[in-house]
Amino acid sequence: MNDLNLELDDFTSTGVTSNTDVPKYYGEALERISSERQEIVCLGVDLSVPTESDGFRDLFPDRFFMIGMAEANAIGIASGMAKMGDIPFVHSFSVFLTRRSYDQVAMQVAYPRSNVKLVGFLPGLTTNLGVSHQAIEDIALMRALPNMVVLEPSGPEQYEAAVRAVVDYSGPVYLRLRRSDSFANFRTTSNKFEVGGSEVLRDGEDAVIFASGIMVSKAMEASIQMHKAGIEVAVVNVYSLKPIDGEMIAKYGRKTKCIVTAENHTTIGGLGDAVAAELASQRILVGHKKVGLKDQFAEGGSIDYLNKKYNLEVEDIVNATREVLVRD
Amino acid sequence: MSSVGNMNMKTSVCTVKDLEAAALSIRRNVLDMVSRLGRGYLQQGLGAADLFTMLFFDELQIDENDLYWPDRDRFILSTAHNSAVFYATLAERGFLDRGRLVEYTVDGSALEINVSERLAPLVEATCGSLGQGLSVGVGIALAARRRGLSSRVYVLLGDAEMQEGQVWEAAMSAASHKLDNLCLIVDINGMQAEGAMEDIVQIHPISEKWQAFGWHTISVDGHSYPSLRDAFKRARETSGYPTAIIAKTTVGKGVPFLEGTRSHNMYVTAEVADRARTFLQEVSS
Repeated sequence: MNDLNLELDDFTSTGVTSNTDVPKYYGEALERISSERQEIVCLGVDLSVPTESDGFRDLFPDRFFMIGMAEANAIGIASGMAKMGDIPFVHSFSVFLTRRSYDQVAMQVAYPRSNVKLVGFLPGLTTNLGVSHQAIEDIALMRALPNMVVLEPSGPEQYEAAVRAVVDYSGPVYLRLRRSDSFANFRTTSNKFEVGGSEVLRDGEDAVIFASGIMVSKAMEASIQMHKAGIEVAVVNVYSLKPIDGEMIAKYGRKTKCIVTAENHTTIGGLGDAVAAELASQRILVGHKKVGLKDQFAEGGSIDYLNKKYNLEVEDIVNATREVLVRD
Repeated sequence: MSSVGNMNMKTSVCTVKDLEAAALSIRRNVLDMVSRLGRGYLQQGLGAADLFTMLFFDELQIDENDLYWPDRDRFILSTAHNSAVFYATLAERGFLDRGRLVEYTVDGSALEINVSERLAPLVEATCGSLGQGLSVGVGIALAARRRGLSSRVYVLLGDAEMQEGQVWEAAMSAASHKLDNLCLIVDINGMQAEGAMEDIVQIHPISEKWQAFGWHTISVDGHSYPSLRDAFKRARETSGYPTAIIAKTTVGKGVPFLEGTRSHNMYVTAEVADRARTFLQEVSS
């Protein structure tokens, strides 16, 4: 292209990677599935490249609609298209699809059960762009809406299966994604990605970590570390936050001595609260420690810095597990 | 009016006299529905009755035997609280059992105070939260065009709704996508919840605003059937631009002592209702 590397910013950059360096695992999955499913259309809000929808735009120009910086409007337009039989995917950063457009999502997507798919990027503290771009309460917001399905795959290893599940499900879905350049280093049953499902990645009797998104691989590392110290900790990838796999949560709530939840989100209204509610409703009394952003906004800064400062590290999961084990 | 080959479809056979009779009946029903509640959206219902009459009796292509006809024209009531006149119009046109009008706002009924998709068909979107209808209309118009459907999309917007920023987002996208199958009707009644619009937000000039946003605009008297018919025809004949019909209406139209009284959610005592009813009957005789 050019030597000066003047590509559009991908907003995920930590200064090391550029757009061209990050593989488009989500975007390519969407393109493959869209070549089979003619009803899929995409709406852009001036963020095609960082949401990996530029490939779709170039492959299917008659099915791509650039709306500009107008998320509320894009949500309404998507709903109108869904009424005509399209399967609209709206791509943006999570904050703009949820916090910014909440009423439009509630009234034009959730209430009429529109077959609209909201695909949000930059979840939690995975961007240096500060509080305006860090989606820390999006899962809570979307879970609170009747009819809304909320999914967060662990990473690119699940993206193709996730997109297939999203397309096969008829109704509103919020898909929370993070651009990533590598597959997980654990074995996933990604081909079994189901709305309402979860997957056990490691088994154990002492404790269980329920994790979602980027916290899944950290939970795996934490579990391996603790195994070396003689503590057997199960890890469950809770990629479907609503509906949530109540059966699996109950099973491990009964089987292990205590639980830890790990989420890249505030600890209010997200995975931790969803798991706690499941356990309480099934009368399972067990110690529970939440790893996640406390009830606070974060700040602009490097992703490594933010994850350390706001306690989203492997070490935080290990500490939480040890604390809840001791307490019980 | 252009006719598509569907035998059951309503085509423009209404005389001005027919339209007047329909509008009068609609107004009487609006009065009955709101007065039963003692309070409600009477003034804007009476004010918009002629717009609704023209749309449903003269303009919209709807198959009365198949209300889900994929090629039907879509009507979106962005001012969803102007519900009494909407239900009365559907009933007058035969799309809703006339007997159901007594259910208006009754607990359990789909004839809610804000029109919702519970009542489907012919409720294309749920717009009680103002400012959202035009965006949905843009989406339907884009999808209809991509599918090669003859459907046109009509959105009825309240003038005060223009205070919502999303309206202008939608306006820009409609013009950018050259949606000539989209027709907006702005009901200029000068009223909003807290009173006269000009005392709250200065919105004029309206027509020039829509022009500046890339729309074809037509300003009309919202009570003149020939003017409205001509405006809809010009909208259909316009290519490359969405059309905004800026329709000046008078709240309370048809009941002289209510005309011009800008009350958003007006108390309607039995006495007021009785007096108003005589005016509506007098006109018919």
